[in-house]
Amino acid sequence: MIVKDAVCPFCGCLCDDIEVEVEEGRVVAVTNACELGTTKFMGEKRMKNPILRVGDEWKDITYDEAVKYAADMLLAAERPLLYGWSGTHGEAQCVGVHMAELIHGVIDNTSSVCHGPSILAIQEVGHPGCTLGVVKNRADLVIYWGSNPIDAHPRHLSRYTRYAEGFFLENAFRDRKVIVVDVRKTESANIADEFIKIRPGGDYAVLSALRAIVQGKADTIPRTVAGVTREQLVRVANLCKSAKFGAVYFGLGLTMTQGKYKNIRNAIELVSELSRHTKFTISAMRGHYNVYGSNEVNTWMTGYPFGIDFSRGIAFYNPGETTAVDILARKECDAALIVGSDPAAHFPRKCLEHLAEIPVVQLDPYPNATTAFCNVQIPVAVTGIDAEGTAYRMDGVPIRTRRVLSSDYLSDEEVLARMYALMQEARER
Amino acid sequence: MKVTLAMKPAAKWFIPIEAESIVPKNFLSGTDLRVWRGNRELRLDEVFSVSVEGDADRAEDVEVVLSGDTFRLKRVGEYLDAGKITVLGGIGMHCGNFMSGGTIEIHGNADGWLGREMAGGTIVCRGDAADYCASGYRGGRKGMKGGTVEVFGRAGDFLAESLAGGTVIVHGDAGDMTGAEMRGGTLVVHGDCSRPAANMKDGSCYVYGTARGMIPTFKKIGTVQHDGRTLIRFSGDLANRGKGNLFVKGYEYLD
Amino acid sequence: MTELLVKNACVIDPLRGINGETMDIAIRDGKIVEEVSDAAEVIDARGMLTLPGGVDSHTHICGTKVNFGRYMSPEDMRAGRTPRRGAMHATSGYSVPTTYGNSYRYSVMGYTTLLEGAMAPLEARHTHEEFTYTPLQDTMANTLFDGNWAILEAIRDGDVKRVAAIIAWTLKAVKGFGVKLTNPGGTEAWQWGKNVSCIRDPVPYFEVTPAEIIRSIVEANELLHLPHSVHLHCNNLGTPGNYSCTLGSFGLIPDLNEKRQTLYATHVQFHAYGGSEWKDFCSKSEPIARFVDMRPQIVMDMGQVMFGRTTTMTADGPMEFNLYRLHHEKWSNHDVELETGSGIIPVIYRRKNLVNSIMWAIGLELALLTKSPWQCLLSTDNPNGAPFVKYPEIIGLLMSKRYRDAEFATVHPDTESRVPLPAIERELDWHEIAVMTRAGAARALGIQDLGKGHLAPGADADVAIYPLKIDEVDPSAEYQKVIDAFSRTEYTIKRGRVVARRGECLVHGSNATLWVAPKVSDGYDMGKDPDFIEKFDRYYTVRMSNYPVQEEYVTRNRRIETEAEL
Repeated sequence: MIVKDAVCPFCGCLCDDIEVEVEEGRVVAVTNACELGTTKFMGEKRMKNPILRVGDEWKDITYDEAVKYAADMLLAAERPLLYGWSGTHGEAQCVGVHMAELIHGVIDNTSSVCHGPSILAIQEVGHPGCTLGVVKNRADLVIYWGSNPIDAHPRHLSRYTRYAEGFFLENAFRDRKVIVVDVRKTESANIADEFIKIRPGGDYAVLSALRAIVQGKADTIPRTVAGVTREQLVRVANLCKSAKFGAVYFGLGLTMTQGKYKNIRNAIELVSELSRHTKFTISAMRGHYNVYGSNEVNTWMTGYPFGIDFSRGIAFYNPGETTAVDILARKECDAALIVGSDPAAHFPRKCLEHLAEIPVVQLDPYPNATTAFCNVQIPVAVTGIDAEGTAYRMDGVPIRTRRVLSSDYLSDEEVLARMYALMQEARER
Repeated sequence: MKVTLAMKPAAKWFIPIEAESIVPKNFLSGTDLRVWRGNRELRLDEVFSVSVEGDADRAEDVEVVLSGDTFRLKRVGEYLDAGKITVLGGIGMHCGNFMSGGTIEIHGNADGWLGREMAGGTIVCRGDAADYCASGYRGGRKGMKGGTVEVFGRAGDFLAESLAGGTVIVHGDAGDMTGAEMRGGTLVVHGDCSRPAANMKDGSCYVYGTARGMIPTFKKIGTVQHDGRTLIRFSGDLANRGKGNLFVKGYEYLD
Repeated sequence: MTELLVKNACVIDPLRGINGETMDIAIRDGKIVEEVSDAAEVIDARGMLTLPGGVDSHTHICGTKVNFGRYMSPEDMRAGRTPRRGAMHATSGYSVPTTYGNSYRYSVMGYTTLLEGAMAPLEARHTHEEFTYTPLQDTMANTLFDGNWAILEAIRDGDVKRVAAIIAWTLKAVKGFGVKLTNPGGTEAWQWGKNVSCIRDPVPYFEVTPAEIIRSIVEANELLHLPHSVHLHCNNLGTPGNYSCTLGSFGLIPDLNEKRQTLYATHVQFHAYGGSEWKDFCSKSEPIARFVDMRPQIVMDMGQVMFGRTTTMTADGPMEFNLYRLHHEKWSNHDVELETGSGIIPVIYRRKNLVNSIMWAIGLELALLTKSPWQCLLSTDNPNGAPFVKYPEIIGLLMSKRYRDAEFATVHPDTESRVPLPAIERELDWHEIAVMTRAGAARALGIQDLGKGHLAPGADADVAIYPLKIDEVDPSAEYQKVIDAFSRTEYTIKRGRVVARRGECLVHGSNATLWVAPKVSDGYDMGKDPDFIEKFDRYYTVRMSNYPVQEEYVTRNRRIETEAEL
């Protein structure tokens, strides 16, 4: 059986033109997806049933036992942390928010280690953006700043920018200029028309300089700014101003380097400045396929995109304080539920030390680095493969992922709903 | 009246306690106050040994003294408008949020967001202050609007972010993005700091040491004498059409 | 079977011609019925003012743009936070509250039906997801067609039937309710950073004018026999002198429908400005109201501005950019491929500001000068003019000259020379308020036949009982009592259940979504049209098969089929 127009649950591009061939309940071939997506569809060896750590051993347990364990753990906690969420569908994320609200816990998603700074910047100055198709059809200038799409979002270039056709571009490949800004010459830089090499930690200064130059104040700018010559800055500013439609895509090279959200704020303010001259937009290259969905769900349900602390009943938001990395590093939680992410693979060691000391339950189809820190792991269906649900693309377009094969695994939503029901029962008692 | 709150040892010592009820005026009507450890509401005396000496009719005459391991005690002195809080050790995040009067003296270090969005009063920190000292809130457009914050040690990153009024003095070094988005008020750093006054709109920022990673969009005006020091005066931030003043003893671009 | 009997209600039900009659309302299984058995649960309304559940015919509560307003505004969220309590979930926010915040606050004010004013088709799924979390109101979404490429091309080719066919396909695909035009043509121009100046200014590349867009789409809307008329946000919002553009747009509209208006013009306050620049900015509410008085084919809503902090959000991207340049506040913009756009900025309307004071006056003037309340409905274009929680104050202002004068004394002193408001003596009565907040809104939306906006047997049992006796309160003098009563119902009944009582919401609820599926002949099914499919595949970034909103997104499905003339 071939499933057409399947949705790839890997990165924030959320490509929805994938063909998946299924035979005897297994994916045997994937067409159109990039290597990362193909690997995800083909799957690895999944965990068969929930497991409980007993001493140094793993013991198989039933779903009911696992769900009960998680509910009891969360109810007993004084500051439970519900973390992850970017690797699952929106319907499950909604249950997660209700849960955090009920048990007065903290709910945070992986933004706090990727584009959280972008959100903080947007909260200061807003976000002039657009959907990916607007760029594809119109942009004659695309800037990748601190992002390396060839590695991290392989089809971004072919679907939306460098190699995409566009309604208003006669010969898109020729008429569309691509600029790459980075601290090193990445693979993406090799396919760019212009490469700007910045000294590490110098993004902010370069962005400030560009803003001043766009305003016609080039004369006050030093001869070089963070390794970039004034001449190049002036040339790039002119390229931007003379474009009909410019689009900036930024990545972790900008969000996770010195100054963090102030870098993004400066980039956004550059784009707002350019908007006085021509059409310009800016967008984040979101990583996990549904990290943006998690921000959206949290926002309409709690008012805040990530790092929400319900300890006191009302929602409190303060990234740097209410975000998972900070809470774990400061040992400020006493239980953790991990859903749809693998913090042990990404968090600093200090965080993992605390994770090792508190009870942890994880929902994940596969054994991963976090498994080693779990008391219980519950395997679930993979959204986009054997579970369906809503995901939000990096530009905010919501797409329903398809189920390409059926399995006996429960979805994240189903497992979480069972936990939530137990907790509600306990709280009503 | 002097209220002494000595922190008791706790099993889950690592869970932060929120104690915005600890402001002098609340003690005028007794010590039956509540604090929160995580999601649990506790009586003040479950967390502290409480002792009261003397009495008072007005908050101005109340001093609250905190002792013990108070570095995880958050929101102490929130909305303080009169009276004094003395912290013998270190204090947790958000001490003196929104305060409009009175005094907070911290003998140890202060954690993040010391004096966030304060409007008046005085905070003295004898040790170091962590990030976001005297700053604003997420998405907010104005930070501290009035009063004084004085830190005798070092300050972390984003010191006095979005400062709109009042005075902030740091005797040691400050971190990165010192005085970012300033729109008023006065910030003085006696030591070095990194990227001061980035994107400033207005106000005055003094760096008596060296400004590292100097923002390239400030215009050099000349030198001025200030408090017996010769400082270089800049105006900016031009990128933000700013009209602020930045005075530095020395500076280095990241060129 | 569940039965409920509301006894001794003082009912105003304009669609049935009932004006202040004391009567009982019988309810069975969520519907109004003639009578119920003795076993029915009884609520004694004790003569309190009882109205059909409120209907907001233009509000922004759910979807991409609204959520982005929340996302970018943690400072707004700090206001109005409540913990989970009983059946109520936690809420946050003032001008852009969380979905639960919207739902509870509307419910407490007696509102049971809401129309989301602008939904980009490509992002429709998002609006429907948020509807699910707006559980105490029935919901519907106006769908944006102002910059739809396929439609612009069909208009250029003079093919109105194709325009209608594209609307039919899209509404059905995205489970939309009505046709919304926001700054027609302007949102497409804005994707080049440009705008259209007024209705004769052609859209770049497509070379059709806003006038042509409005006329063709109005015609197409009637070919499809949609319940609602075209819902228009005129070009040139918020600019001095824009009233002539507004009158020009109104003048394009023939009277094509017997049952309702042919054009719904939204938030007209923002489109009723005189002067040539901010310096000579003034009210032009009089010519607008006079024009509308003579044309039954037009219904408008106020778009009232109230002083204080709020967040502006609209599909009108270029307008928001201009506002950004004025205020230099944070600014968000979100263009949607092949369809439309949106912009958001926070604002504060100040009494001390002359322009803001004039805006405040204009909204009231429109409501007071338009003769028929059926033609000028109450709205703030929530949250653009003010958050909807200000409705009770607006009701107070409309019912009391004394209150208006007291407020007028606090606005910018030059306002008096720029607006007719101080000279207007009219005070609206209870019946007129009932029209402007439910009956008229339901009729304008074309949902009275679906059991909305009235209490006739067969109607949805959506009832609002306010703690106020109309024969004991003089609204002209005791306006504060009016404000208090409309702020908090004694009972809000939704689908036959008491969902809110004295400020508390009592049940979890689940919304029904009303959406339209026009039936067209095969030849006009765009799902089978090779040219439409080819362009879709080439220029959208979502596959056509992944575009339609699945049934899973509609909790209670109220699909409205219409027989299109196609």
